[in-house]
Amino acid sequence: MNTDCILEVKDVSKSFHGLAGASLTVLDKINIKIDKPSSGGIITSIVSPFNSGKTTLLKIISGIEKPSSGEVFIEGKIHNKADGTAAFVPEKPSSFPWMNVKQNIQFAIEVSKSPGKKEKANVDEMISAVGLAGYEDHFPHEKSAGFRLRISIARVLAAGTKLILLDDNFKILHGETKKEIIQLIKFLSREHGENFLFSTSNINDAVSISNKLFVMSNRPGKIIKIIDNDLSKLDESGYISSIKNEIENCFSGHDRIPSFAN
Amino acid sequence: MSFNLQTPGILKLKKLALKNLHRLLLFYLLLWVVLFEFILPANNFLPKPSIVLLSFAALWKDYRLPVNFLITISSIYVALVAAYFLAEYLAPVIFKKNHLFSEFLFSLHWFSIYVPWIIFGIFLIYWFPASPIIEFLLLLVISFFSLIIKMKEESASVGKEYLDSAVSLGADEKTISKKIKWKAVQPKILKHSVQLHFNLWTLAIVFEFIKNGYGLGTIFRLALDYKDLSALFTVSIITGVFIYLGTLLIKYYQNKFCHWSFN
Repeated sequence: MNTDCILEVKDVSKSFHGLAGASLTVLDKINIKIDKPSSGGIITSIVSPFNSGKTTLLKIISGIEKPSSGEVFIEGKIHNKADGTAAFVPEKPSSFPWMNVKQNIQFAIEVSKSPGKKEKANVDEMISAVGLAGYEDHFPHEKSAGFRLRISIARVLAAGTKLILLDDNFKILHGETKKEIIQLIKFLSREHGENFLFSTSNINDAVSISNKLFVMSNRPGKIIKIIDNDLSKLDESGYISSIKNEIENCFSGHDRIPSFAN
Repeated sequence: MSFNLQTPGILKLKKLALKNLHRLLLFYLLLWVVLFEFILPANNFLPKPSIVLLSFAALWKDYRLPVNFLITISSIYVALVAAYFLAEYLAPVIFKKNHLFSEFLFSLHWFSIYVPWIIFGIFLIYWFPASPIIEFLLLLVISFFSLIIKMKEESASVGKEYLDSAVSLGADEKTISKKIKWKAVQPKILKHSVQLHFNLWTLAIVFEFIKNGYGLGTIFRLALDYKDLSALFTVSIITGVFIYLGTLLIKYYQNKFCHWSFN
């Protein structure tokens, strides 16, 4: 397997079986390949309509769920067990409300089996990396959704994850908070070399953050297009609309298309 | 069709009553003094306040209030605290799915749905001899089962986001049980402990009343036998005050150690 690849998803399919023998195919032979960039990290998005299997795919990549068929490779090694190597950040705020910022991060260090996990001494480093310095003893419920997401990101960084899987986490963020989180993710990718795989139904979010977009079809999810996104052109007039059109054109008239919410 | 008795009016009334609890208690106290000391000094309903004060000395000496009270209160609270920590310690087993012991424990839940818990207590009273140790063990077993059934029930409602993120970080089942599931259900367990501690008081008093050897239940029985209304009244007041204090203590613990649940 190619060790220059951060992630390789090979022919991954997933079906759920009901009690009456009924079967629902959620993912159909998904193939994704994310190469290591020459410098820094990479932010990749999976864009698809609601309920098309994005969360299931991220859970399979992280090792929380098993695929019905196919395989996942992280940096060339087969990955079939959740161990912190590809950490999943769920859509709902997942920082533990009974632990303060520091304890949340220490928890990740304690449980992670990833070879890259940080030492306990690096907790403060993680806290400052996500802009939470001075809030070490604060509890998640005392603050906003953006604050909680920062804790979740710091936690996966501390776990030494090689790929951070973000599951449509911007849905509950608005205005400035959303902009700040986007800036944080770009900063972590650029300066700290962190790699992100972000799933979303919001094309604007995907375009504003990603270097590469995988467009997934309605259920059963299939990768129908791969788009390279040049983040430096975001300010150019017409650039974002052209990417949006490209994504929209992947869906036929009767299909549900990803939303265009701002 | 379901009926919700917690209408805004009733809730408002409840809030008002709680807010003015101390004033309300003072009002009832004054009402009792005026009514039963001066207007109706001789009656069969409630004793005269002056006699209640005098009866306290008799209760202390003749009914051996300190020893009996200590036996009851220690049985209840030591059992409750021990059951709570035992349940926490056994959390990894209790939360385990398809675990034989865990499923057996939970199967007992079925009985508690259709048979009032006090009936089990009566059977246990019948089976076991009178002894403070037996009483303690009885309360411990009942508290433990009540807590683990609640834990098992509530574990189904633990946020999937917490479980998924912990699993993806590499946490094993034992860590998830102890550091995620237990913490997630802890506020509900403490809330349940308030109701449970009312039940334990009832059971302890019934046990002691039937066994007639020690404890507050025995004082109730003796006071009834002697038709000593003032002793009955005084011991009821003391019991009420301590149940109230016990509730405050559990709620204080909940506020201090489960602060996140109030947000």
